[in-house]
Amino acid sequence: MNGKPENRVEKIVADLLRGRRLKMRGGDAEEKEAITTAARLAGTRQGPQRMRPEFRKRLARELEAAPDAGWITRRAALVAGLGLAAGAAGGGFLSRALEPNAAARPVAPIEPLSARWVDVGGIDEFSEGEGRRVTAGGVGAFVFRRGDAVSAVSSICSHLPCELSWKSGDGHLLCSCHPARFTAEGKAIGSYGLTALNPVHARVTAAGRVEVLGTE
Amino acid sequence: MTPDEPAAARGGQAEVVQLPTAARATDIALDELELVYAFIYARVGNRADAEDLTQQVALKAIPRLRQGAPASAIRGYLFATARSVLGGFWSTRLGLSEAELREDLALAVPTSPPSEEGVETVQKLLAQLSDNYRRVLELRFLHGYSLKEVAAEMHSTVGAIKVMQLRALRAAAKLRVPE
Repeated sequence: MNGKPENRVEKIVADLLRGRRLKMRGGDAEEKEAITTAARLAGTRQGPQRMRPEFRKRLARELEAAPDAGWITRRAALVAGLGLAAGAAGGGFLSRALEPNAAARPVAPIEPLSARWVDVGGIDEFSEGEGRRVTAGGVGAFVFRRGDAVSAVSSICSHLPCELSWKSGDGHLLCSCHPARFTAEGKAIGSYGLTALNPVHARVTAAGRVEVLGTE
Repeated sequence: MTPDEPAAARGGQAEVVQLPTAARATDIALDELELVYAFIYARVGNRADAEDLTQQVALKAIPRLRQGAPASAIRGYLFATARSVLGGFWSTRLGLSEAELREDLALAVPTSPPSEEGVETVQKLLAQLSDNYRRVLELRFLHGYSLKEVAAEMHSTVGAIKVMQLRALRAAAKLRVPE
């Protein structure tokens, strides 16, 4: 039934028009382009969307519970597009004090809204001490096996919002955007003084499956 | 060492942006996240994925900004994060690289609340298609017709409309919005 590309794309279009999540299936580059175009058409058919009130309230609770990091490096501000603030050098916006000892700050684990445990593979599929990137719905993480236990950290750099990669030979996580490195425990390496990576909840079930706390 | 490394890594002092405090920090952040939500929804086309991705942006970006940062400053950071999160989403779901998503990810940071601009953009895009392709996408996406209804409207069969829909989407994917 779904073997033909027109059937696969129609299934995705029908799901989108019913307000369902994007569930991808295989296909060539043109089919993928057709799917992203369908998503854009579905996204604009009802005009600009606003958050549901209950989602906005949930986000408000999340924001108010977030620790006040209270700082951002000038480089991060510039790279992230904070030109107005960062460009006001000499004004009240910029402090030339040393960056706080961010590495020593406690980092909260990721607690997703609508959280659920997501199976990311059998324990045997994870090599001892080697980072393996997994996704649990909207949460990306690197999972590390230590004997029969596992631990996980966010796959996003704590400095810039970029995906990390695991360098097996060096035994650390490397940021794709700049030379920041982190240990398997998420601690920053070197003299950057960066905040550690957010821990991600992970566990091994009695059946030997690895699960990560992610989203639907 | 590379020139890109922060001053601290080169042995100097890192400059720190201290952003002012404001009582309505959460409200300001939420208003900015409304823009992010509209931006993401217009690309993924469904509420569940848009909420997940907006939450990711908030979780990632907000704790790193001092409460009370000016809206313009928050917006720049949130959209940089949103582009990265969207890139990850498409990469995971479709195996698309950021290079393939250049147009989707390289859009300018909005300076105003969501408007009907997105709808107009889509209509401009569809206007470049052949009559049949434009009609099938308009009926399906803008008017919410089922395949059967589109087939009846266009005096065709469901099977033929399904194939035409795929070809129309492929053709639309290759178009650029005229300036």
